[in-house]
Amino acid sequence: MSTTLERPALATPRKVTPAKDSRTLLKSQVRTGWALLAPALLHSGVFIVIPVIAVLVLSLTDYSFGDTWAWVGFGNYADLFRDVDFQASLWHTVLYAIVVIPISMAIALAVAVGLNQKIRGLTFFRTAYYIPTVTATVAVATIWLWIYNPGSGLANGFLSLFGFAPNRWLADPATALPSLMVVGIWQGLGTKVIIYLAALQTVSRDLLESADLDGAGRWQKFANVTWPAIGPVQFFVLITSIVGTFQVFDLVYVMTQGGPGSETRVLVMDIYQNAFQDLKLGYASAETVIMMIVIALFIGVGRLLQKADAND
Amino acid sequence: MTSATLPAVRSTKPSAIRPGRILLYVVLTVGALLMMTPFIWMLLTAFKSNLEIAKFGWLPGELRWHNFVEAMQTAPFLRYFRNSLFIAVGETAFTLVVCTMAGYALAKMPLRGSKALLTYFIVLLLVPFQIILVPLFLIVKSIPLFGGNNILGHGGIGWLNSWWGLIIPLGAAPLFTFLARQFYVSLPDELAQAARVDGLGEFGIFARIMTPLIKPALITIAVFQIEAAWNGFLWPLMITTSDSMRPLQLGLAIFSQNPAEIQWPYLMAGTALATLPMIVMFVFAQKRFVEGMANVGIKG
Repeated sequence: MSTTLERPALATPRKVTPAKDSRTLLKSQVRTGWALLAPALLHSGVFIVIPVIAVLVLSLTDYSFGDTWAWVGFGNYADLFRDVDFQASLWHTVLYAIVVIPISMAIALAVAVGLNQKIRGLTFFRTAYYIPTVTATVAVATIWLWIYNPGSGLANGFLSLFGFAPNRWLADPATALPSLMVVGIWQGLGTKVIIYLAALQTVSRDLLESADLDGAGRWQKFANVTWPAIGPVQFFVLITSIVGTFQVFDLVYVMTQGGPGSETRVLVMDIYQNAFQDLKLGYASAETVIMMIVIALFIGVGRLLQKADAND
Repeated sequence: MTSATLPAVRSTKPSAIRPGRILLYVVLTVGALLMMTPFIWMLLTAFKSNLEIAKFGWLPGELRWHNFVEAMQTAPFLRYFRNSLFIAVGETAFTLVVCTMAGYALAKMPLRGSKALLTYFIVLLLVPFQIILVPLFLIVKSIPLFGGNNILGHGGIGWLNSWWGLIIPLGAAPLFTFLARQFYVSLPDELAQAARVDGLGEFGIFARIMTPLIKPALITIAVFQIEAAWNGFLWPLMITTSDSMRPLQLGLAIFSQNPAEIQWPYLMAGTALATLPMIVMFVFAQKRFVEGMANVGIKG
């Protein structure tokens, strides 16, 4: 029985081998793929998605850590539109992101390209640029508070070198937020430089060498070989920068506490205060939902920009 | 600091003396100084007396090494250090395994809806940790069959006060899945194809061919994860009640418990000692960045 069945079966597969093989290959790839993905999906589901759903649900309630709570529908959201503190926080955060992201990305890429040359003292330079990332925020904040000190600070000392009048920096409503932006750019630089450096290492040597053979200049090589090659990593840096800038908190909390007035009040700070100081967890949850929507909008724009860049 | 500028002067080969070259060194050096200033200030403050920190000045009158000794004697810092190390290593191992697997699947496996899954992970990395803190705490408390919990997660403390709770929830951040994916995507498919022809299975291709090629990404993930674990504060504070599992950063907090009289020299001495391992690790790891892709090679 079995032998008679096998014969024709042996004869036919020879012809259809490629198709059948590619089908079983695809199957095994799909299986492996899901198996590889499963732990991450489970982990993120339990420790992120469920808490987020909890936040979404909470945003429709007046929950405040107590025993009793009630559904309030979109009441929290309606209140937010009348909340001056929230509006100020949202505006400052968006402004902070729009200024800090492009500047810090450009500086980080420039530094990474500089460090990717055959230069001496590379170990020193790479470490130096990374040090702010590992230095405790309290030390970072303290030194910047001194730099911005209106009386004896470094910033005014620098200005006076060029004959400019001293500024009140963090104490002046007009310069408080820009002063914080400078610190934000400074502190976030190290991480971005490292990611860019890792990406620049993966740019194909062969491609760069063949560009050399074709007589391409430095700038042409950068624009035509390096820039496209680091595209995916560029996008990664953009996304993490958007998230990072929207979540700015520690720095503001230590340096200005949102002041003067509410000139440097930012979103996470407002959320934190509403949630853990005023114990309005439902209200704070609604704020979080709006923040996530705004971040999603920013990332949507980022994706469009990247697509436009890739199609060039 | 000066040692960095010296080599530039010393390299008098005609090709190296171009003005552009010198400008590069000058700009990089000034930038490096700007980046290091707060750290240097932290080190200097660690040597000062309480009188000296009352007014602003750079240099301490004398090097008070005993500040470090006294700071370390205020609490069982050796144990805190061991705990931090354990958490950092555990979290990093967990993250590397889970995130490379997921990143590879997203980048190279023909999964239906892999675009949507990528978007899923990107959306997840937008979630600010501060706000899911409370729900996360409740979930960790009700992990089934741990810490006296029944199968429904009731009755006990779950992962609270456990290494599981300290390590697992904050490991494997979507950020690192995304990072790994971005590196896998830029690897050529021909490599996997060639291995397939040689009869290697799909998992073997992932583990033995493709993953070694993204070594820069692996090191980057490890450095970031170790650093995040090392600097973790809020989460360990929330889920541990005993000293025996608490990490370094919580130990340091005792110097600033009273905002009115922060013990700055001790705080800075402790912080400097806590930061040192991270800097050493970085100095070590960044050499591997340099090896990077160039040495692994993508030649056919």
